[in-house]
Amino acid sequence: MAEPTPVHLFHMSEKRRQFKSSGFFLKMAVLLLFILVPFLFPSFKTVDLAMQIVMFAALVASFDILLGYTGILSFGHGMFFGIGAYCVAFLIGKYGSPSYGNLILGFLLAAAVSAVLALLISLLTLRVKAIFFAMITLAIAELAIVLATKLSGLTGGEDGISLFTPGIFSPAFNLGEFMGIDINGRVVTYYFILFSCLALFLIMLRFTKSPLGRVLQAIRDNVQRAEALGYNTFLYQSISITFGCVVAGLVGALYALWVGYVNPESSLSVMTIMLDVLLMVIIGGMGTLYGGLIGAAFLKITQTYLPDLQHLAKDLFPQAEFLHNIMERWLLLFGVLFILVVIFFPKGVIGSIREYGARRKSRGLNKTA
Amino acid sequence: MAESVFRRFSQQITLIGAVVLFVLPLLGIPPTTYLTLTLAGLAMGMLLFLVASGVSIIFGLMDVLNFAHGSLFAWGAYVGFTVFSLLMPWVEADSLALNLAVFLVAMVTAMITVALLGILLERVIVRRVYGNHLFQILITFGATIVLVELIRVFWGPNDEVMRVPLTFRGNWDILDVIVYRYRVICIIIGLLVYGGLLLILKKTKLGTIVRAGVEDRDMVQAMGHNIYLLFTGVFAVGAALAALGGLAMSLFSLQVYPDMGGTYLLFAFIVVIIGGLGSVTGSLVGALIVGLTYNYVAYLVPWAAAGVNILIMIIILLIRPTGLFPAGE
Repeated sequence: MAEPTPVHLFHMSEKRRQFKSSGFFLKMAVLLLFILVPFLFPSFKTVDLAMQIVMFAALVASFDILLGYTGILSFGHGMFFGIGAYCVAFLIGKYGSPSYGNLILGFLLAAAVSAVLALLISLLTLRVKAIFFAMITLAIAELAIVLATKLSGLTGGEDGISLFTPGIFSPAFNLGEFMGIDINGRVVTYYFILFSCLALFLIMLRFTKSPLGRVLQAIRDNVQRAEALGYNTFLYQSISITFGCVVAGLVGALYALWVGYVNPESSLSVMTIMLDVLLMVIIGGMGTLYGGLIGAAFLKITQTYLPDLQHLAKDLFPQAEFLHNIMERWLLLFGVLFILVVIFFPKGVIGSIREYGARRKSRGLNKTA
Repeated sequence: MAESVFRRFSQQITLIGAVVLFVLPLLGIPPTTYLTLTLAGLAMGMLLFLVASGVSIIFGLMDVLNFAHGSLFAWGAYVGFTVFSLLMPWVEADSLALNLAVFLVAMVTAMITVALLGILLERVIVRRVYGNHLFQILITFGATIVLVELIRVFWGPNDEVMRVPLTFRGNWDILDVIVYRYRVICIIIGLLVYGGLLLILKKTKLGTIVRAGVEDRDMVQAMGHNIYLLFTGVFAVGAALAALGGLAMSLFSLQVYPDMGGTYLLFAFIVVIIGGLGSVTGSLVGALIVGLTYNYVAYLVPWAAAGVNILIMIIILLIRPTGLFPAGE
C-alpha cells in the first residue's frame, strides 16, 4: 500500500474526529430519544407528536435541498407530499387489497410520479427564471387540490380515502408485551417510519456532501460563475429538484401509512402543509438539513400544546378580550414570527449556532497565531 | 429546434391562438349565450387586469415578486364592504346618483386605506430584502398570512354577503343577449384604468422615469432621481389598484371572505406569466385571455375550468418564455 499523503491523513483524522465531536453525541442522543419514545411516553398523543416531528423533519430536509442547497423556492412541495400519500392510499386503500406487494408498489409509484412531475415542472420553468418556479408550483399545487376535490369518483373528494395497512402494520397485529408496552401494529409502524425517515435523511446528507451537492451550492451562490466554470446549471438544478420531490413523495407515502387516511385538506393543502414547512425551514435554518428537525420539533410541539397555552392566557388575563382574539388566531402569531425570523434571524437556529462556532474557532486560531 | 420554429412564426401562432380562442367556443355554444359569456369573460378579465397590472409593474420596476398582493386585494374588498355597510341606505336607494356616490366613496376609501397599507408594507418589510428574490417571496408570503389573519381578527372569519347598489343590479335584454349592468361597469372601470395607466406612463415625466426604471434602475438613480421614493410610490399605486380590483370583484361575486386574495393572486400570476412580467398591455391581454377562456370552458366543461388557464400558461411558456409582451414594451 502506498504511503498516505498529508491530505489522506487529514481526511482520516477528520473522520475520526467526527465520531468524537459533541455534535455527534447530540445527534445520537436525539436518535435514542426517538427510539425510546414508545417506551418512555406510551400515550397516543406523545407518540403521534414524535412521529409527526420525525416525518416533518424529513419533509423539511427534502424542502431544504431545494431551498437551501439549490436556491429554488417551491410552493408545490406539499403537493408532492400529497401525491405520495395518495399513491399509497390508492394501492392499499381504494383500488387494491392491503398486501406487502401493493404497499411496496405504492412507494415505488409515489417515487415515480413525483419524479416525472418534478422533472416536467423544472423543464418547463427553469428555462425562464428561477422565481417562475414559485409562481408556477403554486398554481399547479392549487390545481392539484381542485382536481383531488372535484374528481371525487377517482380520489374520494373531500372525504378522502381510508386505507387498510397490511400484516405487521395493521392495528390488529400484536407481538405480545415487551418492557411494559404492547408491541402492536402501531409500534411496528412507528419504528418502520422512524428508520425509513432516518435512511432518507442519511441519503439526503450524503447527497449534499457529494460532488453533485457542492456543484449545487456553487450554483445557488452564483449562477453565472458556475456556468462559466462549465457546469450545466439547468441539468444540476433539475436533478436536485427531482431528488427533493421524490423524497417528499416518499415521506408523504409514510405519512399516509401512519395516519391511515388521506384527504385534500390534510395532505395537499398549500396553506396548511407549505406554511408549516416554510416556518420549520426558516426557524431551523436554511441549507443545514438538521434545521428541519429543530423547526419541526418547535412548531409541532407548539401546535400540539397550543390549546393549553390558550387556556393559560385566559386564566392569567381573564379581562383581555383582544388578547383572546389574538390567541384564537395563532396563525397570526406564526406569521409575525415568520417575518421577524426572516428579517432578523435569516440563518435560523442551526445556521446561527454554526456561525457562532466558526467565529469562535477563527478567534481561537488568531490567538494562537 | 421546435423552439426556433415557434420563435420564427410567433406572430402567426399568436394570431391563430387568438382566432382559436374566439371562434372555437362558437362551435359548442349558441350565439346569444356566447355573447353573454364573452361579456362575462371581458368583465372578469378587466377585474383580473386590475390585480395583475399591480403585480406586473411592481415586478418590472422593483424586481419584487409581491406575494402579498392577494391579501391587499382582500383588504380592499373588506374596506369597501365596511363602507357599504355603513352607507346601506345609499346602497338600497333607487337613485343612480346615491348609488354612484356610495360606490365612489367605497372606492376612494378602499384605495387610500390599502395604499397606506402598501406603503407600510414596502417601508417596513419589503425594503429590507431588495435584490434577494428568495427572501422577497418568503417575507411577502409571511405578510400575506399576517394580513389575512388580521382580516379575521377585525371582520371575523366568516363569509359576508356583498350587496350591489340597487341601480347596478339587473340586466338589459338587447336582441336576446342578456347584458348584466354591473359587468358593463366592470369593463368601463378596467378600460379607464388601462387608459389612465398608459397615459401616465407614456405622457408624463413621472411615467417616463418609471419606464426608464424598468429598463435600467441604476441609470435612473445615477441621473439623480430618488429611486426609493419611486419604489414606494409604485408599490402604493399597485396596492391601490389591487384594492379597486378587490372591491369590484367582491361586487361581481357578491361576497367577501378572508381567503379571497389567494384565488385571485393565482389568476394574477397566470396573467402576468402569459402577458409578460413588467408590461401593462401584456397584463391586459393576458387578463382578457384568462377571463374569456375561463368563462367559455366553465360553460362547456365545468370541471376543466380551473385547469385550462394553467394549460394556456404552459403553452405560452413553451412558445414564448418571456410572455406575449416582454417587459418595457
